[in-house]
Amino acid sequence: MADFDAIVVGSGMSGGMSAKELTERGWKVLVLERGPEIIPERDYTDQLPPWQSPNLDNVAQAEIAEHYPKQYGGVAYAIKESTKHFWVKDDEHPYEEAPGTSYDWLRGYHTAGRSIMWSRQVYRLSDYDFEANQKENVAVDWPVRYADIKPWYEKVETFIGIAGSMENLPQLPDSVFQPAFELTDAEKSVKARIETTFQGRKVIPARVAHLTDATAEQRELGRSNCQARNQCHRGCTFKAYFSSLNATLPAAQRTGNLTMVHNAIVQSLEYDAVSNRVTGVRVIDAETNATRTYTARVLFLNASAIASAMILLQSTSEKYPNGLVNSSDQVGRNLMDHVSSGGAAGMLSGFENQIVYGRRPSGGIYIPRYANVTENDKPYTRGFGFQGGSSPLGNAGGQIAGIGRQFKESHRGTGPWRFNILAFGEQLPNPENRVTLHRTRRDKWGNPLALFHVTYGENEIRMQAEARKDAVAMLQAAGCTGITSSGSDLSKPGNRIHEMGSARMGRDPATSVLNGWCQAHDVPNLFITDGSFMTSSACQNPSLTYMAFSARAADYATTLMQQGAF
Amino acid sequence: MHTRREVLQGLIVSLGGASLLSACGGVASVVSTPSGATSRFYTDRELVLVTRLSDLIIPRTETPGAVDVNVPGYIDSLMADWASADTQRTHRRALALVDERLNAAVNGDFVQAADGDAEVALIALDTAAFNGDSSLQGYRSCKGYITQSYFATEPGAVQELKWVAVPGRWDASVEIR
Repeated sequence: MADFDAIVVGSGMSGGMSAKELTERGWKVLVLERGPEIIPERDYTDQLPPWQSPNLDNVAQAEIAEHYPKQYGGVAYAIKESTKHFWVKDDEHPYEEAPGTSYDWLRGYHTAGRSIMWSRQVYRLSDYDFEANQKENVAVDWPVRYADIKPWYEKVETFIGIAGSMENLPQLPDSVFQPAFELTDAEKSVKARIETTFQGRKVIPARVAHLTDATAEQRELGRSNCQARNQCHRGCTFKAYFSSLNATLPAAQRTGNLTMVHNAIVQSLEYDAVSNRVTGVRVIDAETNATRTYTARVLFLNASAIASAMILLQSTSEKYPNGLVNSSDQVGRNLMDHVSSGGAAGMLSGFENQIVYGRRPSGGIYIPRYANVTENDKPYTRGFGFQGGSSPLGNAGGQIAGIGRQFKESHRGTGPWRFNILAFGEQLPNPENRVTLHRTRRDKWGNPLALFHVTYGENEIRMQAEARKDAVAMLQAAGCTGITSSGSDLSKPGNRIHEMGSARMGRDPATSVLNGWCQAHDVPNLFITDGSFMTSSACQNPSLTYMAFSARAADYATTLMQQGAF
Repeated sequence: MHTRREVLQGLIVSLGGASLLSACGGVASVVSTPSGATSRFYTDRELVLVTRLSDLIIPRTETPGAVDVNVPGYIDSLMADWASADTQRTHRRALALVDERLNAAVNGDFVQAADGDAEVALIALDTAAFNGDSSLQGYRSCKGYITQSYFATEPGAVQELKWVAVPGRWDASVEIR
């Protein structure tokens, strides 16, 4: 008799959704979280006014050098005195990079994982994405198409809440929307001029997981509309943005079917070769080092694309000496992220008599992919979307000329406006881009360190160079002056924090780890619904897709359970 | 609250951190160099220079100025608690260069120069710093500390910037009348 119907490893974006969907179908579920519990009343810092954060809310430079060199190097904007407890300390959670490569592994180990700190932009994939590998003979074909996942996008979107606008774009299908955050007048002007100059390009409001017209279900969970504070990286006591802690975990909790254990680091999965089933997980307590095993009939891996791959690689047996469900040798390979570099910024005049009220919480504008959709003359394949926005130059940290009354009052938000955009591009799958287990180095719990070997290919390099030119051309068309473009350096692999692809889905067990239901080809009671399953990266922010596939997999697993498969 | 003139006169006479920090009253609640304490990072000369710069860059208007809210004390603690040894050295070198350039501009001691003369000298320096004089990068950094520190205080945020903790709504287009 197993301890639970299912164990979900990880409580973040996809783990929370897996837990919700399974518990709501009557499953007794154990969620294992490797980090400590986040208690909003204690750990959220969104109520702190600026004058109660020491040192301009900056983490002491010596502390950064000692504890956060990688994390801070990757997301300095998010690691503040008020938020540092949401990020891992690099000296406690080290990793290795192969010579000549570098990788940003940016993490938070605690309840809800990175869904606490994410930037909340959410976009559907389309058949441009699901069909691309097959059409271009790249990697392997996705075993699903948009029609398969569309109802699950709708279900997830209705639950989490997304602010956005209906645009009817085939490459970026509309979601179930609550009202969008209105564009500023400067952004409306940019939109009109870009769309007039570049036929087929669109400038739309960013689609973000913030409530702007909370539903009855969302209010029942204690969630309310966004209060336009832009304190999101500190948590949100209004629960206005989606996180596992704000939404899916409470929904799972209220079923009475959820058990949650913190500080439980999964070291390996227990496998029974006779039944060809995963039977449980072996964990070590992060605080006491005590080890124990939990058993379940079904296992959902939601530890993140990197951690899930590492758990599989650590789970060796006679049948799977190179890692569980790794008969294809694809576990840990094809590690992808999104790539940035192409971007530009400039000044806009004509809006000096306008300001905004409130602080828009995430995003501003989004320029959906046009490359190889409406424009087919590109020297690269796939494409990118631009994220960006406008704001009054206002308080530029003192980096504007002038002294005295005029300088002081110029910070009130009046004056010239700044507009910027940055491309988020697709990274092609490459089996040589991978995470493996370090042969000798181990962490303080005795687990092998991750060893990354990830580089960008020619397509990413060429794409971002073109994106940079496009960005400048669009800002020129928009009437910007003083335009500056980004340098040629690409964002480090991992830096967009969209890692995916390390246990891809496909039609052939010889070349993929999962089938179209996120179910392991090799072991039928193992599902992986974090970013691992992604067969290609597309260019859209992926969390929404992880959650939609999680919900779909939970429903499928329930059908199998009812049929007696487990 | 002391008048701005009282604060500056007291400062110039004493050239002492204790007097300054006491006079300013420690309005900014996060300043960890407390009222009445001596500075933890700045020398006396550096403190009076930062104070004069703060007063000229963000003066008292209808709202408190940078000296009123103890921005020099704030930056003193910023340097003591946040800055690395490298950042401290860079800041010290920047202040020394600014001191030298401004003294030369007023043909005397900048911190004791008449308001008009000091303003003219600082405007010239500021203009050069934002028009390609790379040797003044340290001045720009110092100006950044002053500005950010001021707007991180409650009077700077609430009275001057009209910062609201819970706006409650996003209005993308507000016309200034």
